[in-house]
Amino acid sequence: MNSDIKINDLRKVFKTDDKETVALENFSLDIREGELISIVGPSGCGKTTLLRMIAGLLEPTSGEVIIGDKKCEGPGPDRGMVFQEFALFPWRSVRRNVEFGLEIADVPKDERRERAMRYIRAVGLEGFEDHRVHELSGGMKQRVALARAMVTKPDVLLMDEPFGSLDAQTRNIMQMELLRIIEKTNSTIVFVTHSVDEAVFLSDRVVILTKRPASIKEIVDINLPRPRDRASEEFIKLRKHILQQLEDENVKLRADGNVLLDTD
Amino acid sequence: MESVIDKLMYDDENKIHRYTRSIIIIGVSLGIFILIWWNLSLLLKNPAVPTPMAAWDALVYLFANGDAVSGIGMWGHMGISLERFFAGLILAMVVAVPFGLLLGYSKTLEQFSSPTLEVLRPIAPIAWAPIFIFTVGYTWGPILVVFVGIFFPVLLNTIFGVRKIDPNWMDAAKTLGASKLQIFTKVMLPSAVPYVMNGMKVGMGIGWMCIVASELYASYGGGVGYFISIQAQMGYWPNVYAGIIIIAILGILTTTLADYIHKAVTKRMGME
Repeated sequence: MNSDIKINDLRKVFKTDDKETVALENFSLDIREGELISIVGPSGCGKTTLLRMIAGLLEPTSGEVIIGDKKCEGPGPDRGMVFQEFALFPWRSVRRNVEFGLEIADVPKDERRERAMRYIRAVGLEGFEDHRVHELSGGMKQRVALARAMVTKPDVLLMDEPFGSLDAQTRNIMQMELLRIIEKTNSTIVFVTHSVDEAVFLSDRVVILTKRPASIKEIVDINLPRPRDRASEEFIKLRKHILQQLEDENVKLRADGNVLLDTD
Repeated sequence: MESVIDKLMYDDENKIHRYTRSIIIIGVSLGIFILIWWNLSLLLKNPAVPTPMAAWDALVYLFANGDAVSGIGMWGHMGISLERFFAGLILAMVVAVPFGLLLGYSKTLEQFSSPTLEVLRPIAPIAWAPIFIFTVGYTWGPILVVFVGIFFPVLLNTIFGVRKIDPNWMDAAKTLGASKLQIFTKVMLPSAVPYVMNGMKVGMGIGWMCIVASELYASYGGGVGYFISIQAQMGYWPNVYAGIIIIAILGILTTTLADYIHKAVTKRMGME
């Protein structure tokens, strides 16, 4: 099935009693099936808001998200999500966490177990399937979250700073693991990150957002062969370019005088 | 010579040393308590304040020979009290947990019930004893008093537990396709369990006070509270103290049990 994502003129306004904040506007983007897109932007610019709207966890004020030829209304198992804080269920074992989506879909028990184990092996956690979440390290937890999101074979995988809370070394390992795991699946991935390095390392395209209200500042194609060499000239050039674009936005943000007031 | 002294020195990393230390502290603490009691008793020369020895003798005698006034043995009295206590506990859990889940889930329902609950909550459970005993009798009356005592802490903790749920868990469940009902049963329910257990722990402490108080008031049909009440009426003061000691010991046992269940369940749920 075709799982291209079309985002048409998305806009989100948050209303509180005394003010309106425009988080995102004029946001249109076409993402091809199987593409890995990274979203980078200044802190608090609305990256997570965008991702949550694609996930259906947040209702857009106007505009639409279309996957294949179906408009997205509310969350659904066609869009899996990986959260920064893992959001694993601590009362469930690793295997039962991964099985959650299959349980929801009423997959019979034996098949559930077999499919969950396949993904647990894929993320390199074989032998840990009966462990509890609190017994795992951060990197292992994120592997479980990845397996849980992928086991239902979603058309799109949405990742909200998934490696943000991991240490630098684990982070690099996880980036490589992610590429290895998705290689065979042809999943479309939308990846929100703070790290330009991560974006260049992983993505087919990097979408740079402006400061709030977020819209697209630039889309950078990353046409480097994988595995990518972080020390290569092209890599550093792309990184520098994106960082420069972000810095421009941060300068504007500082000029507005609200740089430290924004949080994600 | 030095090695002997080294061995006698307190070592915080040595398990036996730690246990010995806490046993000594508990022993000294209780010893001082008994000494104060003893002195008071000698000082006051009041029959309602017997010496600890007299209370101890009464306790031993009662366990060996039973209670002549009611014709029920001490184990019998304890059994009756515990039975009522656990009946009240089970009843409270069965009612308060589903109710709490519902009120935690629905803001409207919570707003609707909270005026009534806020009026009823501060009332000491024992205040209901006359009404309960008159309407449902000597067996169910005290059980209902215990029910009221345990109901509120369990209810409030359950509501709190549902409210405190990590929104990320809900979002994760939603993106995995869970329906509202599935979110309720597979996410809200399990995540509220540690809070329910905490409510039960608090409730059991209150419930144990409720059972003794309502038995003291009801003075019929057995139970440790009833035993104390009739012994006092007859002026058998050492027996009254024996009853109080039993209440203390059973109280410690029930709170220890509650603590254990709370810890075990929370650990099982991976939510320490």
